[in-house]
Amino acid sequence: MKGYSVELKDLVKVYGGEHGDPRVGAVNGINLGIHPGEFFTLLGPSGCGKTTTLRLVGGFETPTSGEVYIEGQAMSHVPPYNRPVNTVFQNYALFPHLTVAQNVAFGLAIKRVDKKEQERRVQEALEMVRLPDVGKRKPAQLSGGQQQRVALARALINEPSVLLLDEPLGALDLKLRKAMQIELKQLQKEVGITFIYVTHDQEEALTMSDRIAVMAEGSIIQVGDPVGIYEQPATRFVANFIGESNFIEGVLGGTGSDGAVVEVGAERALIRPDAEPWPAGTEVTVCVRPEKLMLYPPATECNGLSGTVREVIYIGTDTEFVVELANGVRAVARLQNIDGRGLGEFAVGDAVRVGWAMWDAHTLED
Amino acid sequence: MAVRPVAADAGPKPVFKRPSLRERIKSSRTAWLYIAPAALIMLFVTLFPYIYQLFMAFTDYRVRNLRFNLLNPETWARYAPPFVGLDNFVRILTNQLTIENYDFWRLLLFNITWTVANIVFHVALGVLIALVLNSKTVLLRRVYRALFVLPWAMPGYVAALTWRNMYDDRFGAINQLFGVINRLIGTSFPTDTRWFVISEPPIGGLLSFLPLAFYAVLLANIWLGWPFMSVVATGALQSIPKELYEAASIDGASGWQQLRKVTLPLIRPAMVPAIMLGTIWTFNQFSVIYFISQGNPFGRTEILITQAYKLVAEQRLYGVAAAFSIVVFFILLSFTLINNRVTRATEAYDV
Ligand SMILES: Nc1ncnc2c1ncn2[C@@H]1O[C@H](COP(=O)(O)OP(=O)(O)OP(=O)(O)O)[C@@H](O)[C@H]1O
Ligand SMILES: [Mg+2]
Repeated sequence: MKGYSVELKDLVKVYGGEHGDPRVGAVNGINLGIHPGEFFTLLGPSGCGKTTTLRLVGGFETPTSGEVYIEGQAMSHVPPYNRPVNTVFQNYALFPHLTVAQNVAFGLAIKRVDKKEQERRVQEALEMVRLPDVGKRKPAQLSGGQQQRVALARALINEPSVLLLDEPLGALDLKLRKAMQIELKQLQKEVGITFIYVTHDQEEALTMSDRIAVMAEGSIIQVGDPVGIYEQPATRFVANFIGESNFIEGVLGGTGSDGAVVEVGAERALIRPDAEPWPAGTEVTVCVRPEKLMLYPPATECNGLSGTVREVIYIGTDTEFVVELANGVRAVARLQNIDGRGLGEFAVGDAVRVGWAMWDAHTLED
Repeated sequence: MAVRPVAADAGPKPVFKRPSLRERIKSSRTAWLYIAPAALIMLFVTLFPYIYQLFMAFTDYRVRNLRFNLLNPETWARYAPPFVGLDNFVRILTNQLTIENYDFWRLLLFNITWTVANIVFHVALGVLIALVLNSKTVLLRRVYRALFVLPWAMPGYVAALTWRNMYDDRFGAINQLFGVINRLIGTSFPTDTRWFVISEPPIGGLLSFLPLAFYAVLLANIWLGWPFMSVVATGALQSIPKELYEAASIDGASGWQQLRKVTLPLIRPAMVPAIMLGTIWTFNQFSVIYFISQGNPFGRTEILITQAYKLVAEQRLYGVAAAFSIVVFFILLSFTLINNRVTRATEAYDV
């Protein structure tokens, strides 16, 4: 319980309901603990309630039920400006009529900080975001990436202990986005404060975060570090939303020393054993990433299943093979085009064995 | 034939020549054909009257000169108005017109006071009401918004005549309202005020040149004028992203600080042109003055444009009136130019 920077308890937000507006459950009971200094990402498809969750933390929305704790304090009666939180908005929300320096100094000016002190801290903040020389310009005279950094400086100058960022890189082009991802991550390490970061871009989430919460329809489906989320997605939704996956239905057999056995039709294959294994005979869905599958000639002895190549798709770095397994499921194997391995080795209609390392396949919760 | 040696950068450089006017007209002949009918009509309907008015302003054009017909040479000798040079302008500016209570500089002072007072109220009231109706907590704000366009939907002179009737000393709604108030709460306001006759100024000192009638027409024109400012302000307010307010409130800005530091600066670019337009309209607010106060008492609520009209309607001094409107035109032109300079009205922010 103690020691969380931000904690959400049974958080619910329902919009509407007044004036005959339809009720929209945007957040349906979220429980979450975010550690101090953590780069925490809320990841999910459009409309899943990420922004709403962030706004509840920032204090721009009041929860329908549940509670937000920041540094152990319940926030229900604390207005946004009294929370140790600041926000970087997706559209920057810079004041267009003020210069960059005035924008950054806004919070200090409101608090009537001494002018000299203001100047010093503004310069410091602008240097931190690597924009030391633009103080006199208006936001409209900056590029999108620069505006984003100014927004960052404006938030950081108030020394929040939690920074909320709602798709801050959403409006930038791919290249700038990548550069800013690295910079943001570095900055977060430097200042050492908690970042709660919202994105619907899975790659962004994987590269930047310490931990990720995957959301869908107002609920959190899975929380974990990038490796955990990618390597062991808990549900079909997570497996599909982050990267691509093959789903193979089977029946659980026994668990041996070299892995759990799953029976698919007449064949048997090994998968990673669950921590709390289901009893043998349970119907399960096995999830394997396409890049973890290997193809072998049909007679090869290996852990895996047999099938027939139905499609070969060349995609530059890799070649994708769509293989129809014995039980009719189409699995996709993605082989890197190294050493003639992917290309040309198998053609449409060939019988193959689809193999994988035991650790790379696991069961899903649903 | 000798082959001319070609040096790398010898010879004249190719120069981009701007096509001559003839070439340009030739190349856009079809376009000209299309706009020709409209252009011709504009020429006669708009440009010609301007030019004719300019001509009249330098002549002593009177009733008899109305027979003067440009297309009929027989009328030229007999009816052509005599050219008087700048005489009309001199007479206007040095008060040598034979109409009652005429004093150009007093008129100008009054006209400016009238305009400034109106615009101050229009803007203050318009922005204030727009702000109030912009807050989501106000009930029925759609209804109010629809209602406040009403003064607009009415033709100006109908509204003016209605106000004229409301100010009637015996049967007008305003005096009757005072009567009702007197009866209800026992006060003793006068109920037979002759709004446009009393020449005693209600406020003395610097403002003693403003009779009661001024405040009456001012009230009527405020009623007419604020909705425009309010509509413009509402539009500007609704285009301010709510994130700006959230960003300001995170930084601890109070409602009042948000108004001063975010709202007002951001609606300014929209308000400045509206104020310029409003100024020009109000400066020449003919129908309110003409129908409500009729310049009374003693021409002290006359503005330049109504005075110009009287020159025609009562004295048939067409030449002088033409010169008069040209004077008004230049006053407004100089106002616009100065205002553009001072406020850089074209400045807008990318939100
Ligand atoms: N002010 C509001 N009034 C009513 N419903 C709202 C409001 N804001 C959001 N919603 C609804 O709540 C749900 C969650 O919205 P939210 O903005 O949190 O999604 P999001 O995950 O941020 O999506 P995106 O990635 O598109 O920004 C959506 O169904 C949305 O339509
Ligand atoms: Mg969002």
